[in-house]
Amino acid sequence: MTFTKIKQGGFLAVAIASLLASPAFAKVTVLGWPGGPEETALRAAADVYNAKSDVAENDKVELLFFNRDGFWDKLQADLAAGSKAFDVNLLATYSIGRYAPFMEPVELSGEAASVYGESVLKTMQYEGKQFGVPTDLSMHFMYYRKDLVEALMKDDAAKAKYAEISEKHLGKKLEPKNPDEWTWDDYAATALYFTQAVNPDSPTRYGTVLQLKNLLFNIMVFQSLPRAFGGNWMDESGKITVNSDAYRKGLETYKLLYDAGATPSDSLSYEFAEANAAYTSGQVAAMMQWNAAASDLTSKEKSPTVADVTETVAPPAGPEGRFTHIHGLGFGLNKNAENKAGGQAFIKWLSSKEAALTYARNNGAPALTPEVVTEVAKERPDLVKLGEFASKYGYVMNGGTAAKALSVYELQAKEFTGYWSGQQSLDDALANTEKGMAELLK
Amino acid sequence: MNTQGAHSSEFRLLAMPLVLFLLVFLGFPAIVNLIYSVSDVSFETLRQPRITGLSNFAAVWNDRAFWQASWFSFRFGALTALLECALGLVLAIFLSPLIERRSWLMAILMLPLMVAPALVGLMYRLVLHEFAGPVPYYLWAWFGTSVSFLGPTSAFWTLIVVETLQWTPFALLLFYMAYRAIPTEIVEASAMDGARRWHLLWYVELPLMAPTIVVALLIRFIDGFRVFDNVYVLTGSGPGGSTASLSIYIYEAFFKQGAIGKAVAASVILFAVSFAVLYGLNFIASRRKGALR
Repeated sequence: MTFTKIKQGGFLAVAIASLLASPAFAKVTVLGWPGGPEETALRAAADVYNAKSDVAENDKVELLFFNRDGFWDKLQADLAAGSKAFDVNLLATYSIGRYAPFMEPVELSGEAASVYGESVLKTMQYEGKQFGVPTDLSMHFMYYRKDLVEALMKDDAAKAKYAEISEKHLGKKLEPKNPDEWTWDDYAATALYFTQAVNPDSPTRYGTVLQLKNLLFNIMVFQSLPRAFGGNWMDESGKITVNSDAYRKGLETYKLLYDAGATPSDSLSYEFAEANAAYTSGQVAAMMQWNAAASDLTSKEKSPTVADVTETVAPPAGPEGRFTHIHGLGFGLNKNAENKAGGQAFIKWLSSKEAALTYARNNGAPALTPEVVTEVAKERPDLVKLGEFASKYGYVMNGGTAAKALSVYELQAKEFTGYWSGQQSLDDALANTEKGMAELLK
Repeated sequence: MNTQGAHSSEFRLLAMPLVLFLLVFLGFPAIVNLIYSVSDVSFETLRQPRITGLSNFAAVWNDRAFWQASWFSFRFGALTALLECALGLVLAIFLSPLIERRSWLMAILMLPLMVAPALVGLMYRLVLHEFAGPVPYYLWAWFGTSVSFLGPTSAFWTLIVVETLQWTPFALLLFYMAYRAIPTEIVEASAMDGARRWHLLWYVELPLMAPTIVVALLIRFIDGFRVFDNVYVLTGSGPGGSTASLSIYIYEAFFKQGAIGKAVAASVILFAVSFAVLYGLNFIASRRKGALR
């Protein structure tokens, strides 16, 4: 009798537990990129989606965020462990090869091609299959203080000083130019001119701010410089080509600027946020920065000192042309998703015109086709530039989407910062990088 | 005999949960780690590692970054342990009369311990930023210069100061308790015998506190040696890996390079060395105890 009661109690407990875990309580959990404009945009898009009458209660979207630090590593561990904590997760161009084994190809809406264009959709493809919807395109702008540059170009005494500084540090006399026509030497000369350690009359403390922390994203900012001199990770035959004159020139230019005090001495611990803080203080004349910073740096509320005088152009040119690193962030489907159908439905909607415009109006950075971007051009003029620069100057290094691409960036970050901080020679940095990359990309 | 057998069965039954706990939570991961340390394994092949012998150990041994991280961890652990214990000891003795009368002071002194190390790292990242932090702001306003607190030459010492400021209260707490536990009769007897304050401290109080001092040094060294959170948040692994501790080295090998076998091999080496050091210390202590008898 007692045993029967225990059995009955056991069945009751199991029944209650099953009810609690039943699909009736299921939602679509979306793991997003935290703490930036992407989070704001995703929240807005999710609100619009959840408010739609044709979205079932079980398919409403719940957002999940964790820290940016080590985000991709944690995601790697979660996916590999078969986590069911999220149905839809963030995906980046440079990590598709790494995560594809743990994700499922997705179906986009019929509008996707006309909203984003085929080239942008390709940033979320791997081995010919669509693994995500490209919600944000990341690239670099050169942000500069137009008031300072205009004043420099009007002042003959300042021009003479500029020529003197460029000759002393770069070995050639240069004249100030419109930033849209700058070469990397013009950028370096301007950075030196606006540095008080070099030119005590400079109106700013530093000519530029470099993001030199041992962090993979900082190498993405850096590599457009060697790329403009013909640099690449590997040639068509797969031979690692990083130990080249192009990389040598890029690394030496950064080192020159750091040693001359043209960037804050703590730049070796700077990344996105620190660089923005330096620029918005009004003590920096120009910098390379992610396009994601545009809305903050030109907002009078967020950047009152520099918002009105900040202009953006594509990064400077080198002998091989003008280049900006591009990669896409997007959302894909976890292979172990508990609510796979709900996740797929959200992804399909996210690739629609309605979602893309919502995303764009709320600080997101989708690369939209010219026909679609006109609808938000007044509110988001930077998105017009985004599309234009991506098509004209965008590039991905050979091997930049390989399964170990992130590890290559990590390796370069370690070795290059070692050189910039004076802990190893340029030859050693390049040789170590070449050796490590050969191992990672074999 | 029967009673003994019953006791033995009871013992086995009662010990079973503990044995199961150890097998599941320590034994299983330890075996998996040992297998991974001699295997070629990645996130995709976690369930099918390919045994490759001792190549991971050789890779770690020949990796200059491993030795750089080991040296960083040793220096960091030793220096922070010494500084925290020295400061904690001075504060415990100096503030003891005050804390005795105003016990709420101890609660205030313990506040740094309540903050997560990662948050401390974030806080100092802001405090030391040249354009956002108060320290560089006043340095620039008063002296017209900015100190590179997190630059290649000063980052190590900045990290030492941050760690010391957070963990000195821990040493202070231990030493205060040990100081208060010294029998008053001994102190009074020494004073009656004419011992001056300095002699009393050196020949009576410190020897009585010695076991606590050794324990505090050991705990703080271990904690400093395995440091991760605040260093990682403040400087990452530093330019060229200059502020990478062994924990950061293992983390980066595991996640960033995807070199799971190498990371696990490094942790096995770390475990073996730690075990040897602790065993050695225990052996010396037990011999000394035997000699005193």
